[in-house]
Amino acid sequence: MNTEEYISSGILESYVLDQLSQAERMEVEEMAQGHEEVRKEIERIERSIEALAFGTAVTPPADVKDKLASELNLEETPVVSISGNGSASPFLKYAAAASVLIALGSATMAFNYWSKWKSAEGRLSDLVAQNQQFADNYNTVNQQLNDVQDAVAIMNNSAFSRVVMNGTDNSPGSLATIYWNKSTQDVYLNIQELKELSQNQQYQLWAIIDGKPIDAGVFDSGSSRLLVQMKSIGSGAAAFAVTIEPRGGSESPSLETMQVVGNV
Amino acid sequence: MSTQNHFIDQDQLVKEIQERRPEALNYLYDNYSSAIYGSILRIVTDEDIAKEVLQDAFMKFWDKIDKYDPSKGRFFTWMINISRNLSIDKLRSKELKKAQKTDDLGDYVNDTKSAGSTHQDIDGIGMKEAMRGLRDEEKFVLEMVYFKGYTQSEIEKEFGIPLGTIKTRLRMALVNMRKILNVE
Repeated sequence: MNTEEYISSGILESYVLDQLSQAERMEVEEMAQGHEEVRKEIERIERSIEALAFGTAVTPPADVKDKLASELNLEETPVVSISGNGSASPFLKYAAAASVLIALGSATMAFNYWSKWKSAEGRLSDLVAQNQQFADNYNTVNQQLNDVQDAVAIMNNSAFSRVVMNGTDNSPGSLATIYWNKSTQDVYLNIQELKELSQNQQYQLWAIIDGKPIDAGVFDSGSSRLLVQMKSIGSGAAAFAVTIEPRGGSESPSLETMQVVGNV
Repeated sequence: MSTQNHFIDQDQLVKEIQERRPEALNYLYDNYSSAIYGSILRIVTDEDIAKEVLQDAFMKFWDKIDKYDPSKGRFFTWMINISRNLSIDKLRSKELKKAQKTDDLGDYVNDTKSAGSTHQDIDGIGMKEAMRGLRDEEKFVLEMVYFKGYTQSEIEKEFGIPLGTIKTRLRMALVNMRKILNVE
């Protein structure tokens, strides 16, 4: 891997954010030692994270600093000369001290409320986002469940004939199944194993009626649905088969591309 | 957005911390605590817990300064990773999960309403613009990893995004962000 590819894989960002395993971390450190560009890129990423942290800074409540200093036994001895020159009256001294205290106190309170408000806002928007995520997940799962329920109903319905289409010599591992209701003419397809196609290709299903292939619709390889509804096919189909065609399908099948076939 | 440029050199600061100078702690706290606290608060979300983690983090910066290896990265990176890891550990610990479950959504709604605010998540100057310039999928990964403290394999499991994709999206998010913020 050259350094450009290495950098663009995103591994350095994960390194800076401490999201790599010990082994991966050592690999990055080795790369950095050997390559100036990697070192420079790491520093750029570090500075981005720094900008992000400073751009989203929140001032901590004032009491943390004092606690920290006492915890570390570093309480600063205040540099206030007690002796002074004695010119100010004791009352003025006390008044000045009191007003400073009051100012400090109200500033601290204002600050406290401000940061509480900020953090409440943060928590609220987190919860709103979380809620949205749950709703999205629920909808997806619900959709999938409906899909499965519909599919199971069709698969268990004795009005549907089940036609297993096995892989041809072109593709022995392929497998797909047709569920066909002769009276309603509904055709459903279940893809068990079909290879991925390129963007300009699609699969096409054919019903063989009186020895002639009749188009039963096109489909993509990547469908996540359990059953895909195809075009209606009336009685008389003796077999079903799937070929690979240009996207949109063909008038008549390219038989040499046949992937699966099964007799009714 | 080069807020950190007027600071004394990070290397110099490290040296002073190693010499255990009280004013170095003072300086460190005054200049870095809000950046660090912001990242902690976004992960743990509870202010009391965030304060606790902030204090633990600064004690660690001070006590474990000899573990910092300048050849492996900037001092700030070392500090923010310690803080983020402490926050994530805290978040994972069971008692916190319990406490969060009993939290009431109603309280937050009232708090915010009474403050007369509109929704605002990322409040730094220029940061909203920077985040707005990102594509949704980039913003998502950056938010999950940086602001919420998810690991990449958690994102993979929970949202079905392959690890490689998460890494490249995280990269693109930071690349685009630094273009907008002019970080060099």
